[in-house]
Amino acid sequence: MSTLAPLSETPETATSTVQELEAVRARFPAGSILPQDGLDQPTWIVSRDVLAAVARELKDNPQTQFDLMLDLCGVDFPDREERFEAVYHLYSLHRGARLRLKVPLREDDAVIPSLIPVWKAANWFEREIYDMFGVRVEGHPNLSRILTHEAFQGHALRKDYDPARRWILTEDKIYKPHFDLPPGENEDDMFERMTVNIGPTHPAMHGTFRLMAVLDGETIVASDVEIGYLHRCFEKMSETHTWQHVIPYTDRLNYCSSFINNVGYCKTVEKLLGVEPPPKAVWARTILSEFSRIMDHCVCNGTTLVDAGGLTNFWYLFQPREEIYGLLESVCGARLTVSACRIGGLIQDLPPDFEARCRRLLEIIPPFVEDSEKLVNKNRIWIDRSVGIAAISGEEAVNWGWTGPCLRASGVGYDVRRAHPYDLYDTVDWEVPVLYGGDVYDRWRIRMLEIWQSLKIIRQLLDRGMPEGPHIVDDPHVALPSKEACYNEMEAMIYHFKLIMDGIRVPAGEIYNMVEGANGELGFYTISDGTGKPYRNHCRPPCFPIFSTFSRLIQGGSLSDAIVSLGGLNIVAGELER
Amino acid sequence: MTQPIAQTAQTPPSRPVLRPDAPYPNTVKPYKPGFAERLYLPLLGGLMVTARHFLRNLFGKKMYTIEYPEERRAYSHRFRGHHILTTRPDGSVRCVACFLCAQNCPAECIHIEAAEHPDVNIEKYPVVYEIDMLRCVFCGYCVDACPEEAIIMSNNYDMAYFTREQSIVGKNDLMKPYTFDENLLGYRPLFPEEDVQRAKMRRDAFNLVEAARQAQERETAKAAAGR
Amino acid sequence: MDKMTGESWVTTTFETLEDWAARNSFWPFPFGTACCAIEFMSTVSSHYDLSRFGSEVVRFSPRQSDVLLVAGTINDKMGPVLKKIYDQMAEPKWVISMGACACSGGFYRAYHVMQGIDEIIPVDVYVPGCPPTPEGLIYGLLQLKEKVIRDRKRFREQGRNQGNNQEKNESVNAGATV
Repeated sequence: MSTLAPLSETPETATSTVQELEAVRARFPAGSILPQDGLDQPTWIVSRDVLAAVARELKDNPQTQFDLMLDLCGVDFPDREERFEAVYHLYSLHRGARLRLKVPLREDDAVIPSLIPVWKAANWFEREIYDMFGVRVEGHPNLSRILTHEAFQGHALRKDYDPARRWILTEDKIYKPHFDLPPGENEDDMFERMTVNIGPTHPAMHGTFRLMAVLDGETIVASDVEIGYLHRCFEKMSETHTWQHVIPYTDRLNYCSSFINNVGYCKTVEKLLGVEPPPKAVWARTILSEFSRIMDHCVCNGTTLVDAGGLTNFWYLFQPREEIYGLLESVCGARLTVSACRIGGLIQDLPPDFEARCRRLLEIIPPFVEDSEKLVNKNRIWIDRSVGIAAISGEEAVNWGWTGPCLRASGVGYDVRRAHPYDLYDTVDWEVPVLYGGDVYDRWRIRMLEIWQSLKIIRQLLDRGMPEGPHIVDDPHVALPSKEACYNEMEAMIYHFKLIMDGIRVPAGEIYNMVEGANGELGFYTISDGTGKPYRNHCRPPCFPIFSTFSRLIQGGSLSDAIVSLGGLNIVAGELER
Repeated sequence: MTQPIAQTAQTPPSRPVLRPDAPYPNTVKPYKPGFAERLYLPLLGGLMVTARHFLRNLFGKKMYTIEYPEERRAYSHRFRGHHILTTRPDGSVRCVACFLCAQNCPAECIHIEAAEHPDVNIEKYPVVYEIDMLRCVFCGYCVDACPEEAIIMSNNYDMAYFTREQSIVGKNDLMKPYTFDENLLGYRPLFPEEDVQRAKMRRDAFNLVEAARQAQERETAKAAAGR
Repeated sequence: MDKMTGESWVTTTFETLEDWAARNSFWPFPFGTACCAIEFMSTVSSHYDLSRFGSEVVRFSPRQSDVLLVAGTINDKMGPVLKKIYDQMAEPKWVISMGACACSGGFYRAYHVMQGIDEIIPVDVYVPGCPPTPEGLIYGLLQLKEKVIRDRKRFREQGRNQGNNQEKNESVNAGATV
């Protein structure tokens, strides 16, 4: 394992960006950028006219270097004169700084300039804001619906859209692919080419994606991907359910590692509430998150090899998964969609044999992972299939908005657990593996390396011992009182009723909070208006920007390589389309 | 809606990934296979692995497969399976039709119709209590919500229906098929420290606490034996 | 000879054999879209091993499969695809709807989610759960087996009754002409 990045080289604390940001702001006409104070991260309200210039400046200025566009989402405020708000979240890898840009828009003039020239990651996010809010994007090459189907009328995340209003898709309305042809090609040559459609039910497309590729022989000249076959309206459902009820929905985002989603969402709401979960819950959350990460990497690496024709590896990697299922089930009662977190802690107290089970898992998992590595790591058949396939450099990957293992395989060691430590990650000794190949092989290998790091984290936490105390915060406004109290005390009973009938009252505010999901930065941008339901709950899916790169990744390669590269990216449809 | 009030959350201390002057890796350095790998030699190691697994499965005692209908996987006592409506000693339903479970159900799959109970101490009882099993997502929120321990979950996952109508399970079905055999109980409120007085108070119901305690003891014993 | 002896030994044995074969060789088409597909993977992998029931031959071609196993949420965009796949399958065919989303839409009462696949295709067995455990899925499959055998018996009896009626009618007609 000589490939680990030397972390000691990176500076320990973030450079302050306040002055630099002020300097950038001063360059633009007065009134076009208004800072909004008191939020969780620096926020600017930017007028639409200067947005493109501001974005360009923020990225290119060596003092700010906001080169990672994390997220773009819309918010609808029907009562305001400027009804919509486009919210950008930016990140600077060099400074560890975050910035939020808000662009207010009138309903009759809801147009934003496309930021694709600045960040390519903007491409699909802009299609999403068009689809969900009807905000038009000027200069977008392919402004069409992305999550909902072609026959859909209206814009689903507007507040006046009925959550249950469905539209029937008829066969005459289908998505028209947009091919980004390379220079030298034009539409007239297309009749000499063959267009191949794969999916959405093709097993190589994992059941939910559709790839249309223009082929010259076996080489892909251009391609387009269609998604939306698993859009389950997570964000609209969040707005119609109470804060606690959103937790089962988050399970089904990235269903390979649902526990991490639970943690991400619960942490976000806890921050809004100003509640700190007790040490026992934090300890268990860290351990179970790492086990979930192992599970997710096992699925990804197993299925990648299946896509390449190697089934044995899949059986070996599914063994540890079953064992981890056993652990999760003993904690919360379900195997896959766990709903094991509650706002303020955990669903129930940990079982008495929790530590013993974890220790047993630490013995069970390594042999299988070792076997899998032995089978594949130095296997020339796999090396020939994967080295140099779908390669992307770190710089380009950042421009496309990548995070997580895929980005770390391209040489940029950004890991939320390290860069913005949460829970107990700061107190244990572990490393962020970084590889420099940027191809399918290195993505495969980095997941294996991360499994070992996760085991290392778990081992240290277990050695530390389970903290004493309750599993959930003792605050009757947040967590249900214990059943014992509920049966005995009138007051607890009243709180119990009140909490269930009205839900948690989260104070008005907004927050963007992130955890390291199995695929990268899993962020939740949540707005509360002080009622019992989220006003807006947006999930920043790590898969989304990664999959938007897919057409670029497979361009110029052969069709069989496209299949292998999809497996290596670990696209989970539930998270991609929410 | 008014402008959201700012929340004074602290930005966590952050640790940047790259030095301010460090450039990104803008080229890729793919893995270079060594000489042995180019000769396909490590494949032999892989063959050894598969051969070992093959032989172990052929001659070893331990198989991973659970022969399901005959043999069952030992799920814990928190498993979220088919629901149970618990009963009073006289066999009537324990539920008092307070609608908390229906309110707390994210899937809105519980339908209750309440009526006056002849006993004045109990007030209400459900005339109709139906759960649409096909809507249910088995999240356990109904159990969390119940203030009477009237609804709990079982360890039973053998469910399949031929029609949508079959899947709407009524009060009798929820009460009937399960005895309160502790092995069949699933997700339910935990009572870690139950004192004698409380146990006495709840003796009219089934003795969940004792069952939970025994189950925990057994689990500990099993884990100890496994170690 | 059949007419003389009624149920001959040959035909009944053959029917039994046929039943046995039909019962033990469901080739599923896993229409997996979401979480349930992960549990389906668990079902076919070594802990549960669906091949014990003759269903290990997972076919991704509708022409070669008997059971359409819908695992995961089907939304309005996927609906036409599912319908097409179902139409392409050869008779006899059965459908297992696995999990709350496929059965009824589950807790997604939402603008883009189909409220149960029985809106567009007939379903033979519904397996509840979100997602069902692998045991639950296997139980559903076993239920389907029983249903198939039951249906086959019923169809055969119906066929025989019809045949007998026809014979009677023929003889009546014959009598009338005479």
